Amino acid sequence: MSTLHVLSHSPFGDDRLTSCLRVIGADDALLLTGDAVYALQPGTVPCTALNARHPTLFVLAEDARARALEIPDTAKAIDYAAFVELSIHYDKVNSWL
Amino acid sequence: MPKSLLIISRQAPWSGPNAREALDIVLAGGAFDLPIGLLFLDDGVFQLTAKQDAKALQQKDLSANLQALPMFGVEDLFVCGDSAAERGLETTGLALEEVQVLSAHDITALIDRYDQVITL
Repeated sequence: MSTLHVLSHSPFGDDRLTSCLRVIGADDALLLTGDAVYALQPGTVPCTALNARHPTLFVLAEDARARALEIPDTAKAIDYAAFVELSIHYDKVNSWL
Repeated sequence: MPKSLLIISRQAPWSGPNAREALDIVLAGGAFDLPIGLLFLDDGVFQLTAKQDAKALQQKDLSANLQALPMFGVEDLFVCGDSAAERGLETTGLALEEVQVLSAHDITALIDRYDQVITL
C-alpha cells in the first residue's frame, strides 16, 4: 500500500517534516504545499534533511512561485489537477494537518 | 507623549492573515504618528523575500504595504539576523531596504525599550 504524504506547514516551526521523513516508505511520495515549500530553501537544515532522505517529491508550483522558491530537479512541479491525480494514484493520502 | 508600541511579526506571508494584519497595525499607528516599531522574527522574515508572486495565489501583494512603511513615518524596522540565517535568507537584497539586522541580544534590549509589545 502506497501513501502520499502531504505537508502544508513551515518546516521551521515544528517537527512534521522531520517525522514524515522518518516514517516515509519506499513506495510513498511527499507533496509539499503551502508553507511546507519553504523546505526547498537552499542551505537550510530542512533542505539538507530532505536531500538526505530524497523521497519521491512533488511540489505545488503556485505555492513555490508565490514564495520566490526555485523547484529543484529532484522534485516534480505540479498543479491542482495533478494533485487530484496523485491522490487517486496513491492508495491513501496522509495529510499532516 | 503616547506609549510606544513594538509589533513582532512572526508568521510567513501567505498562509493566513497575520502578516498582513501586523502590517496594517503598524501602518495605522504610523498614520497617527505613534512611536511604533516592527520586528520580523522567525518565519516572519519570509515576508521580506524579494520577487514573491502573490498573483500565483490570487492574493494581493504585500510588498507595496512594506514600501509604504517609511512614507507613513515608520522608520524603526528590524529583522532578526538569526531567523534569517536559519532560513537561508541573505539580509542584503530584502524587499525592505531600510530594515536593521538585530542579534538575539539586541532584540532583548529592543523589547525592553518599548512600552507595549504585540506579537502576531
